[in-house]
Amino acid sequence: MSLLVASVGFGLITASVLAIAAVGFTLQFAVTDVLNLAFAAVMTAGAYTAYAVNAAGMPIWLGTLAAMAACAVLSVLLNYLVYAPFQRRGAAPITLVIVSLGMALIVEFSVAAVTGGVGVSYRMSQGSTIRLGGLVLTTAQLAIIGISLVVMVAVHALLRYTRLGKAMRATAANRMLARNCGIRASRVIGLTWALTGALCGLAGTVFAIDVGTFTATSTDIFLILILAAVFLGGPGHAYGAMLGALVIGLATEVSAVYIPADYKYVVAFVILLGMLAVRPAGLLGART
Amino acid sequence: MFYLIILLVYAAVDAMACLGLSQQFGVAGVTNFGFIIFQAAGAYVAAVLALPPDTANGGFQTYVGGFGLPFPLPWIGAAAAGGLLALPFTFLVGRRLRGDFAAVGLLVTAVLLNVLVTDYRPLFNGDAGVALVPAPLRQGMFVTTSNAYQVGYAVGGLALAAVIWWLVHRITESPYGRTLRAMRDNDKVADSLGKNLVALRTGALVTGGAIAGLSGAVLVSFIGVWSPAAWSYAETIVLFTAVIIGGMGNHAGAVLGAVLVPVGFEEITRFISNSNPSLPPNLLPSLQWVAIGVLIAVFLWVRPQGILPERKRVIPRRPWPPWRALPAAAAGRGAGPAAGPAAALAVAGTAAAAAPGGSGGPAAGREPGRPAGPAAGPAAGGFPRPARRHPRPEPVRDILRTEGVSKEFGGVHAVAGVSLSVRRGTLTGLIGPNGAGKSTLLSLLAGTERASSGRIFYQGAEITHLPAYRRARLGLVRTFQLASEFKRLTVLENLLSAVPGHRGDSFLGALAGRWYWRADEAAAIERARGLLARFGLERHANDYAGELSGGQRRLVEIMRALMSEPDMLLLDEPMAGVHPELARRIGEGLRELCREGMTILMVEHELAIMDEFCDPVIVMAEGAVLAEGTMAQLRGRAEVVEAYLVG
Repeated sequence: MSLLVASVGFGLITASVLAIAAVGFTLQFAVTDVLNLAFAAVMTAGAYTAYAVNAAGMPIWLGTLAAMAACAVLSVLLNYLVYAPFQRRGAAPITLVIVSLGMALIVEFSVAAVTGGVGVSYRMSQGSTIRLGGLVLTTAQLAIIGISLVVMVAVHALLRYTRLGKAMRATAANRMLARNCGIRASRVIGLTWALTGALCGLAGTVFAIDVGTFTATSTDIFLILILAAVFLGGPGHAYGAMLGALVIGLATEVSAVYIPADYKYVVAFVILLGMLAVRPAGLLGART
Repeated sequence: MFYLIILLVYAAVDAMACLGLSQQFGVAGVTNFGFIIFQAAGAYVAAVLALPPDTANGGFQTYVGGFGLPFPLPWIGAAAAGGLLALPFTFLVGRRLRGDFAAVGLLVTAVLLNVLVTDYRPLFNGDAGVALVPAPLRQGMFVTTSNAYQVGYAVGGLALAAVIWWLVHRITESPYGRTLRAMRDNDKVADSLGKNLVALRTGALVTGGAIAGLSGAVLVSFIGVWSPAAWSYAETIVLFTAVIIGGMGNHAGAVLGAVLVPVGFEEITRFISNSNPSLPPNLLPSLQWVAIGVLIAVFLWVRPQGILPERKRVIPRRPWPPWRALPAAAAGRGAGPAAGPAAALAVAGTAAAAAPGGSGGPAAGREPGRPAGPAAGPAAGGFPRPARRHPRPEPVRDILRTEGVSKEFGGVHAVAGVSLSVRRGTLTGLIGPNGAGKSTLLSLLAGTERASSGRIFYQGAEITHLPAYRRARLGLVRTFQLASEFKRLTVLENLLSAVPGHRGDSFLGALAGRWYWRADEAAAIERARGLLARFGLERHANDYAGELSGGQRRLVEIMRALMSEPDMLLLDEPMAGVHPELARRIGEGLRELCREGMTILMVEHELAIMDEFCDPVIVMAEGAVLAEGTMAQLRGRAEVVEAYLVG
């Protein structure tokens, strides 16, 4: 029983990390029309940026900010130099997916080439242990959950109440129409890349804090969790991604109680393939 | 020397894999990001079929199977495993899922299976992988370490690659391959022409999977070991890079890509690391992956068609002399007297006109006992009358009828409870303001989209739940409002792709070879040329359809629909963007077709055209039928004038 409760705790932490990444990924896809498979690689770049700052003696929160800035810049550059030109030329969606895979290789293995294949960890305190009912969490883990909640509320507020958020939703729904209504779509798209890039950097850092030790290829599997969460909720739906992250996070960690931990990703995988087969538009997506 | 042999074997393996991938990606348009798992499956299966039980060798490795089967059984098993593994993924590449989403699903599968096989030791010895896989024919006179054996292995591998080339060539250059390429260019349109997308994509997945499995067997039997590290998901990207660089859909390109990328890269890396032993061990492999990423992006930008682009299939004026092709086919099927003049007749009219004329042309021979089409040839200047290919059911007056058909898009009622009927042999017009739901209704009728509610009857039978390709095969064929030509097929190929019941338009028919289907092909070509002559597009027969002007592309689409031998045509603004003079000729041609028994439902905005050609005319507004009658009657009705001219 206590094992189950503890696994729920782990599930919540995984879900928190996942939610930040999945919301970033899904917003990116919704507004920019790029199914950016380089997302997890950019996360890695962010995690290492934070590591570099942290290793230079700065606190980890400063490293996190640096990671967010670096990933925002990297994402904007990817769009400006690669994705946007392909889109302007009218490339098919599948071409962009292949290109994004190429970008994933470039980013991930550039990081690997620079850092070597050795695993690294941040120098930070995990904080004191806190007991909540049956849950045992460290301060760092609580902070991850807290950060994630703040991000979710902030994304909600952005989409709901700000001009930029409304412009993003309009652009996602119909780019041409948004343009004709006086929305500067290319600027909205650029800002979306910066914003989702920052989310990506944040996700990379909290992912690295969560797993403890990481290498350049640590996020390969995490990309699958992101995709599972995104497709579960419906590609392009921010709230769907939040829901998907919660379900996938809990499902993978709780299932680890009953099946060997090595296979916990199978649950996410089965959910993803099932959704693709039965309801590609996702739980919150429109039925087609 | 030994190193050269290794390279040759690798080249053979990679060439086979790239041919299989090119067949899926370049020809059929199926983006299989999990390609490597099919190679892996073949390698593992070949290994455990050839290995002795895992208690041998001191039991240092565990695996299922261990049958110790002699060559070539493990290789055959590997190809079968690769093909069978494709079947569970059929649901991913089916009709409903976007191609890029399916690709993501396959990528995820590849990553997950690698993790599973790594972690689950009893299956294939987990992370360490299987080792000591016996080489083929190791007993008897062959000593596996001898030079002669190694050379023989390399030659055998290359020969096998050549066989694979021959196989994919046979498939790609057949009418079946043409259908695959049509699906690649526009799957929705292929669906509407009676092509079963699920079956076609399954065929591509299974064929490519079997080839990949075989390539894995050739590899594992040579190197003797196989572990998860050899088939990470990224290896698929290497093969994709090879196919993209070499040229998608070009077999020579696939082989060239295999030599340049997987083989060439290994070579360069080995050379650099040998000459600079002081480099960190991780650096070169990492940079290799970076280079792959750069190559993908640069090639897709600079030369997306690859070094060796897909060949244009030019069909010469007379591919096979009629005195050779047609009698041979007629004799082969016992379908009656030689049909020497059939081809000549078909130039003026159609093969259909020739068939009932007693010549026993290929189409007639296929379905003995079915009702013959109209015996009369087309009137001078009329449209070619297509052949009947399916028995006509009891004639009902209303060939098409709907009962309360509706379609919702997220709360918007695009079509709201439409009940209408179309009389056989009429040229019925469908007009209405923008957003009235005309095109959506057409999509519902053709099956491109499913109705939210209501029922649809065709020839008296309910077709509400039939997919588009089945409706097309019943003779209910649509065209599209937006240009829908198969861009990378020539005009002639576009027309030929629609021919129903072509003997070469199946996997087995393609394998059987040209002799099996060339008579059908010759007849189809003659019929297509007849249509091209009629529409004045003969000059463009061998141009890519994507390179034509807008008006010409509309013509190609109409001709292609006619090639599919429909009983009823659903035309979505066939004259939009067409020169008025030509539009008039199209209209006259359509009327001619209706006089000969065809039924046409046509969406059109141009009232003058409706006035001249269509009777009756159905008016739609806001998703519902507003009125029906002749144009003269409709003009007298205030609500119609208001909806159409004001609204």
